[in-house]
Amino acid sequence: MSAVVTVRDLTKRYRGVTALDGVSFSLAEHRIHGLLGRNGAGKTTLMQILTAQNFATSGEISVFGQHPYENEQVLSRISFIKESQTYPSHLRVTHVLRAARLVYPGWDEEFAQRLADVFQLPRGRNVRKLSRGMLSALGIVVGLASRAPLTFFDEPYLGLDAVSRQLFYDHLLADYTEHPRTIVLSTHLIDEVSDLIEHVLLIDQGRLLLDVEAEALRGQVVTVSGPVAAVDEFSRTGTELHRASLGGTARATVRGDFGPAAYDRARSLGLGLEASSLQDIVVRLTTSNNGHAAGAGSAAAADKEAVR
Amino acid sequence: MNRALTVARLQFVGWRSVVGWPWGILALSFSINLALFSAMNEADDFEPTTGGLMSIYVVMIVASINAITQEFPFALGLGVSRRSFYLGNVLHFAGQAVSYGAVLYLLAVIEEATDGWGVNMRFFGVPFPLVDHPVLRFLGFAIPFLLLGFIGIAIALVFKRWGVNGLLMLSTVALAGIGGLVVLATWQGWWSAIGGWFADQPGWALLVGWPALLTLVLAGLSYLTIRRATP
Repeated sequence: MSAVVTVRDLTKRYRGVTALDGVSFSLAEHRIHGLLGRNGAGKTTLMQILTAQNFATSGEISVFGQHPYENEQVLSRISFIKESQTYPSHLRVTHVLRAARLVYPGWDEEFAQRLADVFQLPRGRNVRKLSRGMLSALGIVVGLASRAPLTFFDEPYLGLDAVSRQLFYDHLLADYTEHPRTIVLSTHLIDEVSDLIEHVLLIDQGRLLLDVEAEALRGQVVTVSGPVAAVDEFSRTGTELHRASLGGTARATVRGDFGPAAYDRARSLGLGLEASSLQDIVVRLTTSNNGHAAGAGSAAAADKEAVR
Repeated sequence: MNRALTVARLQFVGWRSVVGWPWGILALSFSINLALFSAMNEADDFEPTTGGLMSIYVVMIVASINAITQEFPFALGLGVSRRSFYLGNVLHFAGQAVSYGAVLYLLAVIEEATDGWGVNMRFFGVPFPLVDHPVLRFLGFAIPFLLLGFIGIAIALVFKRWGVNGLLMLSTVALAGIGGLVVLATWQGWWSAIGGWFADQPGWALLVGWPALLTLVLAGLSYLTIRRATP
């Protein structure tokens, strides 16, 4: 699978603030990537630079093999749906859909109309009079119906109720299966999308903490609980990210290269072991001192001794 | 270029308000003036100009500011390049200038033929006959649309790139520059020479030539500014 996006040593500095700090990664074609991180981590800045809406301070980016800035061939294959998107105030919902139809080469009008029905968008209503949720739904309709080979969703669900969010995930997955494309989904509702995401990128304070297949990550971080001594013993095989103690028992989140053998080992130590959810992993990595030290990639297991 | 055409079409998706506002306001201004002139019943030799024509040009400057503050973030959000957005706007403005200029010219001709709409009102014509040539008269209507359009774009772009501080800085520089020139001209006693220069200029230069030149300069500066603007 070829890389649709390649980023090398990307840095973005605003006056006194480093929004992105030497970020490098690539995005494989036809996958759903989860771009995760806390508020202000640099997710939106990253997507703005990749879509040529903002400028990098240093570093190299390549989208479809070229730099996206003022590059019509690249830009026409990208759809970037962001929570903060504004619309000209005189436009109605139907105007926005017509505008998107004009601009996106892969636009599917029938699909757009179907989605607008699904999300119960009032076609004739002025965009300024839409509720926050409806505005998000409009963005989602545009993003999905554009069928752009590279689609960014930057927290597209703001104000959407649980039903509409589920509808979004369902339609995203269904349409992605039928029309494979590269999708980047930036979200805070990690548990909701953890089944959807195939590849995880985690940024914190402008740095890339994780760049890993979701499947591989699931076995990498586990939570063990039991007697303190046994937890200590088990933690030695990985990087401890978090620990909560209560009397003689402890509960620790540990990152390492855990296979089936680890489960046997935990059982023999008398420990309960469970794979951490994606949300737990993200929370523990971004709040742990060891999260940054462990770095991105799968080298964590190798330097476990050094970290301890 | 295809993409620029798309942008020009993009700005017409809500065409009712794009076309409706300028002509609606002009029509309103015209009706009020017409009613006023009918009520006044002035003598035949008195033919004042209403100045109501200005309204459509004011709407143009508002629309061009909107183009940067509202259409620009929308178009870039849809994956349009800055260059295409800019060219699309130029096409859009030029199209408007030509079509609106032509309509205004026709209305001015009708106004003359009907003796000021039967009530001696000069709404579309200018009081002093600057130019007689039909093409130049048409350009006299069309070029100011372009000039005001690019003034609006330039001001909005300064705001877009450098924020309120940029606008304040621009105003400060403009004030200091113009004020300084006025002081200099007064001190050196240049005013009669300046007045003479304006008087020597042919009508077409004042109405068409200089505005066109200024438009070109603003268009060039705006293009350089928009290349690094972020939505």
